[in-house]
Amino acid sequence: MDLMNDELPPELETALKALDARASQRAARVDVERVAARVVERLRQGEASPSRRMLWMSPVALRAAAAVVVLVAGGALVTLTMQHPQQSASVKLPVTIPAADSLNPGQLEAVLQAAGEVRPVVDTAAPVISSGSWDDLSEPQLETLLASLKGAEG
Amino acid sequence: MGSPALAVEPDGDLIAQYLAGEERAATELVRRHAAALARYIAAQGAPDDELEDLTQETMFKTFRALGTFRGGASFRTWLLAIGGNVLRDRRRQWRRSRVVELTPDIRDPSGDPGAHAEAGWAAERLEEGVGKLARLQREVFLMRAQQGLGYDEIASGLGISEGAARVHYHHAVKRLKAWIS
Repeated sequence: MDLMNDELPPELETALKALDARASQRAARVDVERVAARVVERLRQGEASPSRRMLWMSPVALRAAAAVVVLVAGGALVTLTMQHPQQSASVKLPVTIPAADSLNPGQLEAVLQAAGEVRPVVDTAAPVISSGSWDDLSEPQLETLLASLKGAEG
Repeated sequence: MGSPALAVEPDGDLIAQYLAGEERAATELVRRHAAALARYIAAQGAPDDELEDLTQETMFKTFRALGTFRGGASFRTWLLAIGGNVLRDRRRQWRRSRVVELTPDIRDPSGDPGAHAEAGWAAERLEEGVGKLARLQREVFLMRAQQGLGYDEIASGLGISEGAARVHYHHAVKRLKAWIS
């Protein structure tokens, strides 16, 4: 078959016409006005249009930010352990690093850069993060985590 | 001199209006493209009782992603590509939860019963064959043969080269021809 000639063989053309007629018949039962109303309603309900969504509110950005929190907290614990080996000998490390394969290379790079720039703060209270993977957190949970981080910074 | 015909607002203008916060533009885009989208999804075997929901979900996802739309393809092509993804995701859910009749029996009481039976058989056979194609073959075939889109459009919408789109189309035609013969 010639790649430049995309005419359908007659038997296939007939079958396609029949298939399309059937598909059109079924598609005609879709109430377009109802679809439009529901789509607009969903877009209106807190699911803001892209122009109104801030970049950092996206799940990807939230996951990356949450990963930074974990790495910084982990770094602080490691530093604490190295500086005070006796005191912290019995300290449990409840921090779980998120699965690396849940981040794409760009996110991973951002996380590593951020972790390199932040100096760990020594704190006696060990952070307790029980989640095994950031994929387990819902968007509201991630937003809460990020908000708490912002609050801690302020 | 007659009055000028009412100009149809291009999709690009409506997209810009929607992004600027005008809901009316979203409504207009849905009105303009929902039927073609539903036809495209229906030809891939989506069941009747899911068709409206799939159309709505695709439209919604498309508007949510409009911020990333760069205009390489037309809005229609982009919409169909997202529709293909939505249908694929939904099929995975169906497989996990229930068995769906993919080729519902639709009878038209008018006309010659023999001819209808033959056309119905051909349509069913082709729908079955389309369902057996690889995803890109299926989507390129329907975008080209059913929706009448150009290869450049299809290539932009699906993120492949124009040459690859042609190859997928011709593989699809070859396989479908063998399937219905």
